[in-house]
Amino acid sequence: MSKLLRRYGTLIGCAIILLVFWIALPGTFMTARNWLNITEQVSMLTVVAAGMTIVMVMGDFDLSVGSMASLSGIVAAVLFTFGYPMWEALGAALLAGLVGGLINGTLVSFVGIMPFVATLATLTIYSGAAFVVSGGRTISGRAIPDAFGDFARDGISLGGLTIPNLTIVAIVTVAIVWVLLEQTTFGRRLYAIGGNLEAAHLSGVPVRRLKLVAFALTGFCAALAGLLYASRVASANPTEGSGLMLNAIAAVFLGMTMAEHGEPRVLATVVGVLILGVLDNGLTQMSVDSYVRQILVGIIIVIAVSASSISKATRR
Amino acid sequence: MPLLALENVSKAYAGVPVLRGVTLHVEAGEIHALMGENGAGKSTLIRIIAGVVAPDTADIRIDGRPVVIDSPATARQLGLRFIHQELNVVPTLSVAENIAMGAAYPRRAGVLVDWSRLNAMAVEALETLGITHIDPCAKMASLAMGDRMLVKISAAFLAQGGTPARLYVMDEPTAALSREEAERLFAVLREIRRAGNSVLYVSHRIDEVMRLCDRATVLRDGNAVDSGSLADITHDDLVALMIGRRIAEAYPPQTAAPTDEIVFAGHGLAVRAGEILGIAGLAGAGQTELLRTIFGRPGAAWKHRIAYVPRERRAEGLVATRPIFENITLPHLEARALGGTWLTPRREKRFAARLGEEVRLRARGPAQAVQELSGGNQQKVVFAKALAGDPRLLLLDDPTRGVDVGAKFDIYTLIREMTAKGMAVILVSSDLPELLGLADRIAVMRGGAITATVAAKGLAEEDLLDLCYGRGSGVEAVA
Repeated sequence: MSKLLRRYGTLIGCAIILLVFWIALPGTFMTARNWLNITEQVSMLTVVAAGMTIVMVMGDFDLSVGSMASLSGIVAAVLFTFGYPMWEALGAALLAGLVGGLINGTLVSFVGIMPFVATLATLTIYSGAAFVVSGGRTISGRAIPDAFGDFARDGISLGGLTIPNLTIVAIVTVAIVWVLLEQTTFGRRLYAIGGNLEAAHLSGVPVRRLKLVAFALTGFCAALAGLLYASRVASANPTEGSGLMLNAIAAVFLGMTMAEHGEPRVLATVVGVLILGVLDNGLTQMSVDSYVRQILVGIIIVIAVSASSISKATRR
Repeated sequence: MPLLALENVSKAYAGVPVLRGVTLHVEAGEIHALMGENGAGKSTLIRIIAGVVAPDTADIRIDGRPVVIDSPATARQLGLRFIHQELNVVPTLSVAENIAMGAAYPRRAGVLVDWSRLNAMAVEALETLGITHIDPCAKMASLAMGDRMLVKISAAFLAQGGTPARLYVMDEPTAALSREEAERLFAVLREIRRAGNSVLYVSHRIDEVMRLCDRATVLRDGNAVDSGSLADITHDDLVALMIGRRIAEAYPPQTAAPTDEIVFAGHGLAVRAGEILGIAGLAGAGQTELLRTIFGRPGAAWKHRIAYVPRERRAEGLVATRPIFENITLPHLEARALGGTWLTPRREKRFAARLGEEVRLRARGPAQAVQELSGGNQQKVVFAKALAGDPRLLLLDDPTRGVDVGAKFDIYTLIREMTAKGMAVILVSSDLPELLGLADRIAVMRGGAITATVAAKGLAEEDLLDLCYGRGSGVEAVA
């Protein structure tokens, strides 16, 4: 019984949450429209959390994803104001994410700083850079191309429903990360590093090179999420990504509570993201204060992790 | 009257019996060996004595007085002390602090630690056991493994909570010790025996047990199959008792002679195809470093078909949380993936299952997690991983450490089969009989360099040991 609870506790908890909202919000919660809405709301978080999963598979963290997302939105918006074509601006923003990730990866694998410390440092660096580049202001208005703002509002029609573009980008990102982690030698080696770095190294796994690539991908995902956010609000401000990092790590942890050996899996991360998204959506509809919501989310993470096999106390 | 008498001890986990009415008597003033293969029930029995696990049935007496051991604290009060394999020491604190930990530190003016008295206490605790070479002010981290264990024993010796120690229970204490360190430990254990106290000594190492212990109890499949004086029993009988069948020879015979083709030469040694080159030496003479140097950069080494079985199975050899097949294919992933990139788990599993058969792996299947296997079977996974790339040169660093007798023989057989197929093997071992039983030639290391290379055939263990210590001996060196 306790074993069952440990393995499926998070999913059972999930079902209970859904049931409560279904009953409390008749006619509005369990509708296709609301669910599409949820997927759109969590699309940025999904992209960041999918990227976060890549480094967490190796047992590392990237705390800089939030400020990287902010920086990427700012880079694109500033280039818009200088009159650069849209694709060049977007490409530069994504490149910034890649470079930021490479810096994180270099610090972790070649300089040898703990990921926690290294990415805490780059968190403040990227955040500072976003303020410097933007002059601390929100960039909006005519400088932002219409096509960029329209992207987030549009979608693909499918049998009377419109699947938002943001949702589609999130799904594609998750699919790519899933293929990388579960279907390629790259992913297998990352899991080996996460399980036992020394054994992986002695088995010929190029640990440093893979860490570098993994952090670069995480940075790229963060930058992509920053662009999705900027598109959604048709503006960019240097604090737009705050909150993404904590929620992304929370989502990966929630996902880990569902995995057999407590390892991060990208599809489980998506379930984690959806749990957070559903809570947010349902509680907002029930007009629960947003600060109370934060408290509830924190409590749920503690319960899920302590009841699952990734808590050390229950492992023995 | 025995010091500790266990009768009718039974324990089942989820309906599976682990101990079936076991009897164990430890007399006062003896070193008693508790033997058995992995899974025989030794650790469960010890955990019951320690008060960590509650038995289903048990009749426990100390000095003839019935007792109930319901917690580790009770065990302590009864004078039982436990020295575990993984030593719980604080490496950043001094020897004296580690000894006094758990007891109260001596105070000055009620609050300040009285350091000189603390150190005096530690010296006293050490000297009671005849240990004079350890400085109480030294940091624990600066001590060798063996000395750390001696400190731990001294700490256990301190009367904490009023009860002096009567019985020490030691679980595989020499697993991480060098020969000299082990000798020093034995001297301390004999000192404990001389003082009228007892030791319950858990070990696989038969030679060691035969030399050190007075009596032994052998567990097999949860039963105490025999108990008696070690003076009346031979090495082979003891092995047969432990594994339930007789092994004719400790080492499988060589089936093919080495060829003349030199597979590797350098660092003062050369090894030919089909040859086992043993490397002997005291602990820390540089054997592991030499193997690492020969292995070089892991990625390149595996590509050149040089395989390596590292010394620390769990820390260096395996990704324990991952399935067997992922461990086996890890160094050879590129060759086993489509286009070097795309995983083919079904083919990998089939491949791993075949290798598992080759190394006589006992597992539910290739998808089972490595951490669920016994020590011997985990080591077989490491071997399967090494053999998966069809290596020309196999580097083995103490491959049978902590492996039980049955699995040991399997591994020896495997090494013989590999050399018969033309593989060259460099075998580092802390077990001299193992080197003498398997190797064609033995290179001796001292202080990081090879000092002699001798033919293994006809070499006496004492002569080999003399070479390891750098003492002159009449053994003639061969090329």
